[in-house]
Amino acid sequence: MKTFEHIAEEMLHIPKEKIGDDLTPKDVPDWDSMNYLLFIAELERAFKMSFSMDEVMNAKSLGDVRKIVEARKK
Amino acid sequence: MKPADLKLEDIKVGDSASFERSFSEADVVTFATLSGDTNPLHTDETYAQATKFGRRIVHGMLVGSLVSRFVGMHIPGKRCLFLSESLSFKHPVFIGDALVVTGTVESVSRATRIVRITITIHKKTGEEAVHGIAEVQVL
Repeated sequence: MKTFEHIAEEMLHIPKEKIGDDLTPKDVPDWDSMNYLLFIAELERAFKMSFSMDEVMNAKSLGDVRKIVEARKK
Repeated sequence: MKPADLKLEDIKVGDSASFERSFSEADVVTFATLSGDTNPLHTDETYAQATKFGRRIVHGMLVGSLVSRFVGMHIPGKRCLFLSESLSFKHPVFIGDALVVTGTVESVSRATRIVRITITIHKKTGEEAVHGIAEVQVL
């Protein structure tokens, strides 16, 4: 099963060693609006969960996204 | 034919549609001209006869272009923004082969409005020619 890190690496093209919760679109060249949406959609498929539109809009960092995923797992 | 006009709310996992198509020699020549891919496997009967295929084959991406038709005309149709596709070419398609294109909705993301569709293109004889995944956003 894919992990959050695998999906971030695959969809946002972040090198594995650089993945961290403080990363924002400013730090990741391929974190544009469309890749971000594809990243979210892939997380939803992989973890069989749904984001709300507010969550998608308000997440500002990789850590924000991770917190949403982890909250759904509980 | 007018494109379908499905809204995101109209689309659910498991929805599917299909259509049929075959490609003529003129289609292959036109695609070779448009794309610039005049590889002899597609355009030179003598060359193609000497290959393991025994005759010219239709460009894979010409067959793959049917994915564009599927998402642009069927699911979701008019509101489609085509984001990505991945294709695997399983068996060669020859001029005149009758093809059936089928797409099935695999996932629907309400938050991102992204719909993922599994596409299969079968020959009417049963062989799977192309298998792929398309991702679209419903505008």
